[in-house]
Amino acid sequence: MTMTTSFTGLTPGKNYWALLIGVALLQTGYLAKMALDRVSLLKHGREITLQVQPVDPRDIFRGDYVILGYDISQVATADASTGASLKNVTRGSAIYVTLAPSTDATWAVKGVSASYPPAVEATDVVLKGRVTYRRPIDGSGNENVSVRYGIESYFVPEGTGKALETAVQTQKMQAIIAVDADGTPAIKGLIINGERHVDPPLL
Amino acid sequence: MWGDGKRLIDDVRRWRSEGWVTADGEARILADLAQRGSGLSLASALGILASVLLSFAILSFVAAHWQEMPRLLRLGMLLGLIWAGYIAAGLFATRGKPLFSDAAILFAVAAFGASIMLISQMFHIDGNPPDGVLLWWLGAALSGIALRSNPALALAMVLVAVWTGMKSGDTGDVHWPFLIGWGAITAAFIWHRWTPGAHISGIALTVFIVSLGYLLGRGHEHALVVMLGLVSVAAAIAANTYRPEWKAISDPALGYAIATTFAGLFAIQFIENITTGALIGYAAVTLALLLAAIWYGLDVDHRGALWLGYVGFSIEVLAVYAKTVGTILDTSLFFLVAGLIVAALAFMAWRIATRTDATRGAV
Repeated sequence: MTMTTSFTGLTPGKNYWALLIGVALLQTGYLAKMALDRVSLLKHGREITLQVQPVDPRDIFRGDYVILGYDISQVATADASTGASLKNVTRGSAIYVTLAPSTDATWAVKGVSASYPPAVEATDVVLKGRVTYRRPIDGSGNENVSVRYGIESYFVPEGTGKALETAVQTQKMQAIIAVDADGTPAIKGLIINGERHVDPPLL
Repeated sequence: MWGDGKRLIDDVRRWRSEGWVTADGEARILADLAQRGSGLSLASALGILASVLLSFAILSFVAAHWQEMPRLLRLGMLLGLIWAGYIAAGLFATRGKPLFSDAAILFAVAAFGASIMLISQMFHIDGNPPDGVLLWWLGAALSGIALRSNPALALAMVLVAVWTGMKSGDTGDVHWPFLIGWGAITAAFIWHRWTPGAHISGIALTVFIVSLGYLLGRGHEHALVVMLGLVSVAAAIAANTYRPEWKAISDPALGYAIATTFAGLFAIQFIENITTGALIGYAAVTLALLLAAIWYGLDVDHRGALWLGYVGFSIEVLAVYAKTVGTILDTSLFFLVAGLIVAALAFMAWRIATRTDATRGAV
């Protein structure tokens, strides 16, 4: 068998154009689907509001995005839904957090389980997340579970990150989240001091 | 290839002037060399570089004007860039410029990756960064295989490695799906008969196997790495001996197998805590194996084995010295023994060489 060091020892065959168009269609088609799925999730997903936690100011502004922490980013194994076992939930595995509306118009943790809960009350909503780590709480036999939902980065126009950072530190800030039927959340916008800031729609 | 070819031409001219090669023979050899052509020419290297620079230029332009564009226009622009790359690739290919065609494909694949990132940004998708890289390498591999583009495949292999690194970093565990991506892209490299691809695959697999030693068994599985390395060395030597037609693969494989074995042995000796006695034992085995690699490299003219042997030998000796520097007696004893062994081997080699010469002289 002989080998070559040439980048381009291969002559394009007869179907080269067909292959090129096929590859381009697949790649751009997938990207378009990715964008349209999001558009549909933002449009049709159930809307909830989450309290944003102040994050360490050194971490909060990195480039052109703001890192958002949530009250629901930390759950405890004691929050487990009735009958749910969190024994096999490890770093990287999926976790489902059931939220119920609380008094201040934001949503709070009601239950945690390793799979999508079989029965969800109409007023509740389930969020799918990924476990980033588990840490025992001293002496209680209980563990803290850190969860990432994929809604922790908020990209902002260049140069406006600092203002947002100050807003998170000094003012009350909530995130508007759209949730689809399988629990995937997406950021729709932010509420800063009671004022709604939502991205313009794609179409 | 380019450098070797030039040297060979000089040699052939010299052999002709010495009268070892006939004028006809010289003409035929030069014609054969010319037909083989230069692989990694300056033009192909510049074409690829230009593609990379253009990708950066367009991406930074997009990034700078990102917020001023309506969202639909942003999306259309990203997808348009990918199409532009593939259409340019088709136009270059049909006009007999496969080199620029490859550069255009690489540009399209880069634009695909950038689109994944920018769409994520547009919709505040934070998700799982490794998933974005997974999508990117799948796209790069698709382009590389369907369009038979080696640079796209090389990028795909780099992305597989990045993906595995991110996954392992997240979970602190071995990321076995690496082998699927590695296998698919390596198969494509072999299908394309592309030598640099064999080296890219070799490097990627070596790093993966060596990392097993640090990830499995709470980070103490370096013996497994040594075993895998030794089995690969044996397999590569067997292939070199009995299947010379596979030399194009077994030759680079031998080099990476030697590197894997040495990395495993190095970790056992200098990363793990072992007694001085055990260290001396392992060091003796390591030096013996490295001498065997040098011997094999000289015997079958395998430059990789030869140089890895020399470099490994130097690293090993220095590392042993650094680790045992406090216990001077042991250190000097070790070097005394190592020096005597190498001297004995040199003497043996000399005897064998003179005997072979004598036999040759008799015939």
